Amino acid sequence: MLIAWRYRERDTIIQRLDPRARIIFMLAMLFSIIQFWDLRIMLLFLGVAALQFGLARLTWRETRRAWILISFIILFMTTLTFLTGRGGVATAYHEEHLIRRLGPLSLPIVGWQLHLDITAEKTIFALSQLTRMYAITTMAITIPYTVDPSLYGVTFRGLGLPDKFAYAMDLAFRFVPTLGRDFSITLDAQRARGYEVEKLSGGIVAQIRRLAPLLVPVTINAIVSAEDIIDAMDLRAFGVGPRTWVRKLTYRRADKVLIAASALVFAGSTVLAFMGFGRLWVPEALLRLATG
Amino acid sequence: MPSTEALPLVVENLSFRYRDRDDPAIRDVSFELEAGKILLVAGASGCGKTTLIRCINGLIPRSYKGELSGRVLLHGQPTLPGGPGDTGGMPLSRISQIVGTVLQDPERQILGAHVFTEVAFGLENLGVPREEIVRRVDETLAYLGIAHLKNRETFYLSGGEKQKVAMAGTLAMRPSILLLDEPLASLDPASAEEALTLIRRLADEGKTVVIIEHRVEDVLKINPELSLFMVEGEVRYFGPTAGLEAAVDYHEVKLPAPMILEKARHDPPPIYARPRLAAARNGSAPGEACPERSRRVERPLVEFRDVFFAYEPETPVLQDINLSIQAGDVIAVLGPNGAGKTTLVKHAIGLLKPKQGQVLLEGTDTRELSVAQIAHTVGYVFQSPSHMLFAPTVREELAFGPQNLGFDQEAIERNVTAAVDILNLNGLEDYPPLGLSFGQQKRVSIAAILAMRSKILVMDEPTAGQDYKNYMAFMNAILGLPDFEAILFITHDVDLAVCYANRVLLVHQGTIAADGPPAEVLADFELLRRCRVVPTSLLATNLEYLPKTGRFMPAEALAHALADEPTRTEPRAPVL
Repeated sequence: MLIAWRYRERDTIIQRLDPRARIIFMLAMLFSIIQFWDLRIMLLFLGVAALQFGLARLTWRETRRAWILISFIILFMTTLTFLTGRGGVATAYHEEHLIRRLGPLSLPIVGWQLHLDITAEKTIFALSQLTRMYAITTMAITIPYTVDPSLYGVTFRGLGLPDKFAYAMDLAFRFVPTLGRDFSITLDAQRARGYEVEKLSGGIVAQIRRLAPLLVPVTINAIVSAEDIIDAMDLRAFGVGPRTWVRKLTYRRADKVLIAASALVFAGSTVLAFMGFGRLWVPEALLRLATG
Repeated sequence: MPSTEALPLVVENLSFRYRDRDDPAIRDVSFELEAGKILLVAGASGCGKTTLIRCINGLIPRSYKGELSGRVLLHGQPTLPGGPGDTGGMPLSRISQIVGTVLQDPERQILGAHVFTEVAFGLENLGVPREEIVRRVDETLAYLGIAHLKNRETFYLSGGEKQKVAMAGTLAMRPSILLLDEPLASLDPASAEEALTLIRRLADEGKTVVIIEHRVEDVLKINPELSLFMVEGEVRYFGPTAGLEAAVDYHEVKLPAPMILEKARHDPPPIYARPRLAAARNGSAPGEACPERSRRVERPLVEFRDVFFAYEPETPVLQDINLSIQAGDVIAVLGPNGAGKTTLVKHAIGLLKPKQGQVLLEGTDTRELSVAQIAHTVGYVFQSPSHMLFAPTVREELAFGPQNLGFDQEAIERNVTAAVDILNLNGLEDYPPLGLSFGQQKRVSIAAILAMRSKILVMDEPTAGQDYKNYMAFMNAILGLPDFEAILFITHDVDLAVCYANRVLLVHQGTIAADGPPAEVLADFELLRRCRVVPTSLLATNLEYLPKTGRFMPAEALAHALADEPTRTEPRAPVL
């Protein structure tokens, strides 16, 4: 059974908005953010995202698990970019100012040896990347917690997706928490058989093999559940023709204002980026540290 | 009899072989059903019951491919492709308006996040106008007495509520035929009774109902007009339900206790394993308490002290739990869906730690032990096998637990072989567990824990999805093992407690409503009713003869125990 995100009805400005307007706002912010690398602009977007999160009156307690997972992924990706130096060189900067050379360092798990050049550009790029990803996720994370799950499908239909795709988006939204629940049950079942995931050892291939007791049941369950869902949909005539969406959404004035603002931000960002604003900004202090 | 054309459901010489199987799942199945009648379909796991349902509701051949022959007629119209004047078969959209299907597990059927959207789903797909959908959803919810659930999230409903919502989603489409595939499997006894009452009412109001069910005894209470008994894909019996008793083997299909009493008298005495762990140690048996003497002398294996647990602070799941599990205990945990039974046993294995109070395992607080350490003492069989099976072969699956616990190779092989024998998995050792049927997967999951040779065996709904013959066989085998010091199982099957437990825990709303010998706890019908446990004919019969037998036992054993008093074993109508 697909489960929904932990939604709670709250009388907030954010929840009173039409979910379509909120999705448009989120997409506008997303496509605006990705046009810049300037940390100061990123912080501005992060501020807007944090404001939205605050207005939604979400608490740390209810979003804690999602934040931990997101932070793990963001920190992992940022660290990897910082260590390897890949990503920024091609997209955001072309020359680097060395602050310090470390190494050789031995990477855990894979055992690779590498020299680490800490440069002003690489450092600020990592910070920008971190801020950019947090701004995007802060913007997005409020959606599942504050949009009524029974409105997912009609929201995407209202944004112009065909019936089948709109319902597929509805199912996909609920697939993530369902996967999380299945993973938790499997972890418990295997721990009860003496399996200790924290005691994984050996090389990377051996470690992945040792994860099979978790990964195989979760994957197979996801496939079997998908088949069940298809059967259940078929048995109730899904996809036989144009469908009625029983829930109805109506734009109000605030929604229209939000959509207009979103369009303005996106258009403004595109023009500014086209004119060359918002490229990687390296603070003078860092450059002095490198050259001094 | 009405003409064939007018009958809602006609199945003629239906055969189907799944594309990846060598043998047909069903062969030459034929029957007819009139409006307003209930057809009970019985048979062991894998006999083709579900395949038959899929052929009627159109999932075969549209979703499941294979070789199909024969005809299904809905109100005189053929649904399957092929045959004279083939038009490609009736479209699924049309079939789904005539045939409504309720699957075994409502969780597999419910798609909507809320009750309202779930019930409206089929009508939305048919393009029914919005106002009409709202009206029909309200009508259906009111008809089923669940209007108060309209705005609830489906995930947080109880098992019984989910089943009703799944049925509402089907009924809102106004089908004339209802197919119910083991609708009682995941329900507590009281919810099952409510569901059956509803099914009878639907039939009485003109719906044609086909109900597949292992719990034959329960379905017989609503007097299905016709029964169909299948063995290995073929119809062994089709006719009035009154003739079912003579057609079936009571070892394969669970019949009401008075019927078994009558039939079993003429058969040789059954080989019934009295629980060896309990009997050998304490001389007690099902229906009797373990002697107080042994409880006082021995240290408890597991002890709950003032345990309180809650996922959310404002909604306690367990409170004031005080109990100890002693060597020799065979405990049946009974109670309604959502009472806290699984949460309770998860504390024993250390998967959950109490928010207040203590759980002690052989004197040590479970907070100080890892789950892996606890697994040496407590083996826990999860409810759903699909959440734990992963290995390429059954043999490797069974070896996984003992390997984690550090057993040597010789011990692992010995334990695996023994577990294979006990759970009747011989011949399947090199099969991938995930390729087996649900019933076989369940047995593999139990065998995987048996192979760990823990002191205490804990099973969550061990018989769910199993046919009667299979589960009685493995319960006999497990209870006959001398290896375990205590066994605890969660079940909705009161008869399992009657046959095997020497202690019953009734869990209700997160507290222990009763804890004692079955003859004491299960004799209090008012208490059972409060805890949504419905007495069975086997319980009633055992209670009736308890002064003579001194203990509870299965109906076959009871028939022979009473052999000296033939006049007392005359067939009677079920007590309930």
